[in-house]
Amino acid sequence: MPAGRRVKRADSATSSARQQVLPFAEPLPLAPPVSVTPTPVRRLWFCVCLPKLPLEACRSSTEALAIVEEQHGNHRVLLADAAALAAGIMTGQSANAALALLPTLKLEERSHVREQQVLERLASWLERFSSFVSIADKDLLLLEIAGSLRLFGGLPNLRQEISQGLGVLGFSAAVAIAPTPLAATWLARAGRRVCIRAAENLGPALRQLPLACLHWPAGQRESLTGMGITTIGDCLRLPREGFARRFGVERLLDLDRALGHLPDPRDSWRAPERFCADYEMTEEQSDRELLLHICRELLLSHEQFLLARQLGTQRLCFSFFHFKSVATELHLGAALADRSASHWFDLLKIRFEVLRLPEPVIAVRLRSGLSQPLQAETARLSFNNNAPAKQKRRYSITQLAERLVARIGDHAVNALTMVAEHRPEYAWSVRGPLSDWSANTLTMIADSKRPLWMLPEPALLPADSGYPLHQGCRLTLLEGPERLETGWWDEQGISRDYYTAVSGVGMRLWVFRNRQRTPNWYLHGIFG
Amino acid sequence: MSLEKLLENPRVWRGSSQVGTRSGLASGYPKLDRCLPGGGWPRGALTEILIGQYGIGELRLLMPALAQLSAEETPAYTGEVTEPGWIAWVAPPFQPYAPALQQHGIDLSRMLIVRPKDDSELLWSAEQALSSGTCAAVLLWPDKLDDQASRRLQLAAEKGNSWAIAFRPLAARQQASAAALRLELQFTGQGTRVHILKSRGGRPTVLNDLL
Repeated sequence: MPAGRRVKRADSATSSARQQVLPFAEPLPLAPPVSVTPTPVRRLWFCVCLPKLPLEACRSSTEALAIVEEQHGNHRVLLADAAALAAGIMTGQSANAALALLPTLKLEERSHVREQQVLERLASWLERFSSFVSIADKDLLLLEIAGSLRLFGGLPNLRQEISQGLGVLGFSAAVAIAPTPLAATWLARAGRRVCIRAAENLGPALRQLPLACLHWPAGQRESLTGMGITTIGDCLRLPREGFARRFGVERLLDLDRALGHLPDPRDSWRAPERFCADYEMTEEQSDRELLLHICRELLLSHEQFLLARQLGTQRLCFSFFHFKSVATELHLGAALADRSASHWFDLLKIRFEVLRLPEPVIAVRLRSGLSQPLQAETARLSFNNNAPAKQKRRYSITQLAERLVARIGDHAVNALTMVAEHRPEYAWSVRGPLSDWSANTLTMIADSKRPLWMLPEPALLPADSGYPLHQGCRLTLLEGPERLETGWWDEQGISRDYYTAVSGVGMRLWVFRNRQRTPNWYLHGIFG
Repeated sequence: MSLEKLLENPRVWRGSSQVGTRSGLASGYPKLDRCLPGGGWPRGALTEILIGQYGIGELRLLMPALAQLSAEETPAYTGEVTEPGWIAWVAPPFQPYAPALQQHGIDLSRMLIVRPKDDSELLWSAEQALSSGTCAAVLLWPDKLDDQASRRLQLAAEKGNSWAIAFRPLAARQQASAAALRLELQFTGQGTRVHILKSRGGRPTVLNDLL
């Protein structure tokens, strides 16, 4: 983890050994937690709870939409929008029932990744209101707003601005304000639109909350309900020692943190940094050497930027701006996160050679993709310094692949891998150029011989009185048949008899006769 | 003066003098190895294979050597780096079939398939792969390969100490080439005949029943 990406900030509560009367539970058999002395800096936490995030994260069209999630093998409706609700669709319905009610309903599978992305976008939007934003849960954001109150003209203004902003962005949020992060979280989950500023008001407000909004494990909640304990107030009335023994110290700590008896430090969220720099020229330039030189300057400052932050990036984009035409863009990709200007410059040169610029250039911009922490590799200790220099490899396979991809394109370079499958055309697949190539591949050796060359599609062979013909002459069948059958599970079933055949000109071929429908002969491979 | 003394004279040039200076890569066919200088395929050089049509054993001829290359843990030519070499296929005419490659003992995680759009990209990619020092062997199927291009490939192969194998049509026999080894494969009715047209440090030979 690099410094600066995630900043830990302790809560204001500082430990003090001074004993103080606790505002909770009359019998005190367990040693009370270290209490909090009032400190000059008061924290105020603003909690944004997004109960409809799964739905709101993927709202794109105007038609009725429902989010489904797989539960025990069935797809069930998790959330539905207003149009779907009006048609009678309810949470927990099966996807088929929902479709029966509203055939035009659009069903979308829940995606945690998408929700996380939306949450991160929202977090960086919220950074305008506070210097401390934290993603507390998969539907929760916390802001520390004590320091922002004066700037935004008081609490009511700030609260209104955030709520309105969220509304404009299309999120229905439950918000709550409290002096501790957990209290704000629970109040927001309970749907209380409250604003508690003073610590002494916190206790009474929390006591009324039902236990459901604490998100404790279901088993514990059930046993608490069975004991007749339904609110936080009920919990606080229990003896501390017994409570801790039954439900774990963690639960007790939760209550203490919510009430502010214990500090509750949170992680701060920071938007990932991107590099973006322009180089503007005084006049239009078409000298490619000069343009390359400018790109190099930009890459060097990019390197400085990343170096200072211990970051690297996998994507870069150069934009060449013209006076009249649309800017020409040049995208570069690397297999591993990198920051070295010379490496990027090598890749750039390859692409720049074949780049067409419709007009002279007036400005160049370099934007970096998402940066990621860079892990520097320790060079291996080498005891073999006598090895001749020319025998050292010039660059690794990933660098070679990068260069090839940069010149001839993403899909033109790939690696092979095996697939556990008996049907010949599905028994292999390709891997992308910049994926992890060192991954082990499956080893499956078929009993009978397979051809080294595979045709993209089986080619129909003409036949002469039942014998296949190739390039006009009859094939001699050497080996076979090897029967390969079925694949009913994906409706691509086969039923074929494979033979090794040799043609009149000495080509060894892998042919098959279809046993389904018409018994035609096909050429499928060539034994190279 | 004895014959041995005479032969020690540096002014005497012998055709087979390069034999032994660089050991070849065993081809897996002892008969072929005996005809090749260095006892096998020439490393760090270009080999040309002329064929009339695919499927007459042009790949089977190479498979034992390629399997050996992809399995080698510490190839001598990579110096201190202990990583087996990669095998690049540049512009193959069909899809190299993974299960068959595995049957021939080739490590699939060491295969790189490159599909360039035209001949200039093909030569560029092959040259990059050869000179990178990462690829133990580079197989290429160019449409055309002139003398100058073959020289470039030969130099790149020398630089990266890699084995370049170019597959060319029979008509290329008339063209000059910088390849260290040129083979012609022809079907004779009984089997495939391997004709060594040119072999640096060796002599032309015909092998009839190799495949």
